[in-house]
Amino acid sequence: MISFLVTVFIVSLIAAVLALALVVAERYIADYGECQITLNDKRKIAVEGGKPLLSVLREEKIFIPSACGGRGTCGVCKVKVLDGAGPILPTETPFMTKDEIAGDVRLSCQVKVRGDLSIEIPDELFNVREYTTRCAGIEELTYDMKRFRFELTEPKSIDYVPGQYVQLLCPRYKGSSEEVYRAYSIASDPNEKGVVELIIRRVPNGICTTWCFEYLKEGDTVKLNGPYGEFRLSESDAPMVFVAGGSGMAPFVSILHQMKHNGIQREAVYFFGGNAVRDLCLIEQMKAFEKALPNFTFVPVVARPEEDDHWDGETGLVTDAVKRKYEDLSGYEGYLCGSPGMIDAAIKVFTSLGMPDDKIYYDKFA
Amino acid sequence: MKMSPQDKKLDEMLRSSTLVAGGFMGSDRRSVFEVIESDAATLEKAGLNASMVARRMRELTAAAQAGLGTWVDVDHGRIRVMSEDYKGVLVCPWGHAGHYPKRITIVECPETGQTLTWSDLNIHLIEAHGFFEGQGSAFRVEPDQAAAMLFEKDWD
Ligand SMILES: Cc1cc2nc3c(=O)[nH]c(=O)nc-3n(C[C@H](O)[C@H](O)[C@H](O)COP(=O)(O)OP(=O)(O)OC[C@H]3O[C@@H](n4cnc5c(N)ncnc54)[C@H](O)[C@@H]3O)c2cc1C
Ligand code: FES
Ligand SMILES: [Zn+2]
Repeated sequence: MISFLVTVFIVSLIAAVLALALVVAERYIADYGECQITLNDKRKIAVEGGKPLLSVLREEKIFIPSACGGRGTCGVCKVKVLDGAGPILPTETPFMTKDEIAGDVRLSCQVKVRGDLSIEIPDELFNVREYTTRCAGIEELTYDMKRFRFELTEPKSIDYVPGQYVQLLCPRYKGSSEEVYRAYSIASDPNEKGVVELIIRRVPNGICTTWCFEYLKEGDTVKLNGPYGEFRLSESDAPMVFVAGGSGMAPFVSILHQMKHNGIQREAVYFFGGNAVRDLCLIEQMKAFEKALPNFTFVPVVARPEEDDHWDGETGLVTDAVKRKYEDLSGYEGYLCGSPGMIDAAIKVFTSLGMPDDKIYYDKFA
Repeated sequence: MKMSPQDKKLDEMLRSSTLVAGGFMGSDRRSVFEVIESDAATLEKAGLNASMVARRMRELTAAAQAGLGTWVDVDHGRIRVMSEDYKGVLVCPWGHAGHYPKRITIVECPETGQTLTWSDLNIHLIEAHGFFEGQGSAFRVEPDQAAAMLFEKDWD
């Protein structure tokens, strides 16, 4: 029995030493030299091997969206690796659908560059830049929402399509031992190219929102990168229904600025839902848009107004207000921003009123 | 209690702010296993176990969903529930596959004003690991409070 235990111990010890040696070798000895990454079959870049693809691309100023700082916990940093990445890792599979696995999609923070790679990324990502900004204003919109104004210092201007989002780098602070990135929809006027405004809703015990609400001060330097995302106005003339709640307001503010500047006169009705009157915000700004855009109507909806709110507007769920207003949405386009639950419920209502699936636009946030 | 290297790594992860602000242990100095054991004992006294609590939490989160961020009455108004979705997902600190929406469910007892809050990750942590989080953690679910509020059990 004792000799059996000794053997087990020795075998375990050898395995542990070998594993350690591998880690040390990988860290200090392995030299993958210069590797070549072919991007979209067009551009080739020479990079130093041995690091995760996500960081290698970032060093080349190619920003792949990521929310967890490359720790493999957000599943956001997906790219197509056509060649050279080796088999998919157990750390990646939880974030992948079967189709993505079959389609060579990988988490770029988990793929190490150990040789030449061929990858495919959306062309828009080549326009993504990192911006150093100065926080120039913090405005309280509701008890749990604030608008942050960032003036760009380097580079000094940004081009984006209203509806897109940026990533904000939340630095290490008392409540968070790691830097993290979080996505926020741009809520500013696209003609003000030197500014990015964000509307951020406080999330209980949230890493980034706690930092924004409790630590970030006017004058502080903040890093953003972007723009990202496909959410935007279509180029058709179809009438539109916007539905949003909470911080879902953000992209519509930017879109309404765009409509005003470009003289877009499409019919647009914007339903904004809140639990109580205290959840509503930017009412004055919406009234100003109503004046500037004759075919635009803002419909705030309060689920449960209190008696002393003296609320005489729409009540109940935001989706019920949509149902009350329309019988047929077959010729309309729907634009949604908010929590996944609200988006699912609104999609159900839109489709039940005849809106075709491909005319419903929303950002997949979850 | 002597911990294996894996357990030590888990304990460090739970105390770090890597996955959630401030970690999962709060100011609790006990090991994660001691926390799990003591909470299981508390539940047992109420004739419950972690799976029963998790199942009930899942049911209430589902009921709250219908309110799209507004209160929904449950148990004929004995309690009301509301869920708030925040964009994004969280992963399990034990390293399990899958991710959990950053959805918060709040249960309120209108009569007493008592509330109980959890996120979808809590449901998984309780169901798969019997882990209610450490004392002082922002999302600790107190087992005795859960037993009283979620199951109509009045006990001490
Ligand atoms: C494309 C896109 C656009 C977005 N636009 C906006 C926008 O315009 N405005 C906006 O406000 N947000 C927006 N978001 C959401 C935003 O990116 C963040 O996800 C959000 O702000 C929360 O980040 P956080 O770091 O504060 O929270 P996190 O730290 O990531 O998560 C906090 C949540 O984790 C859970 N949690 C925390 N601690 C524990 C614990 N101990 N135990 C169990 N569970 C726990 C709780 O559910 C808690 O609410 C957008 C997201 C995407 C993807
Ligand atoms: S950056 Fe989060 S999983 Fe890759
Ligand atoms: Zn788990």
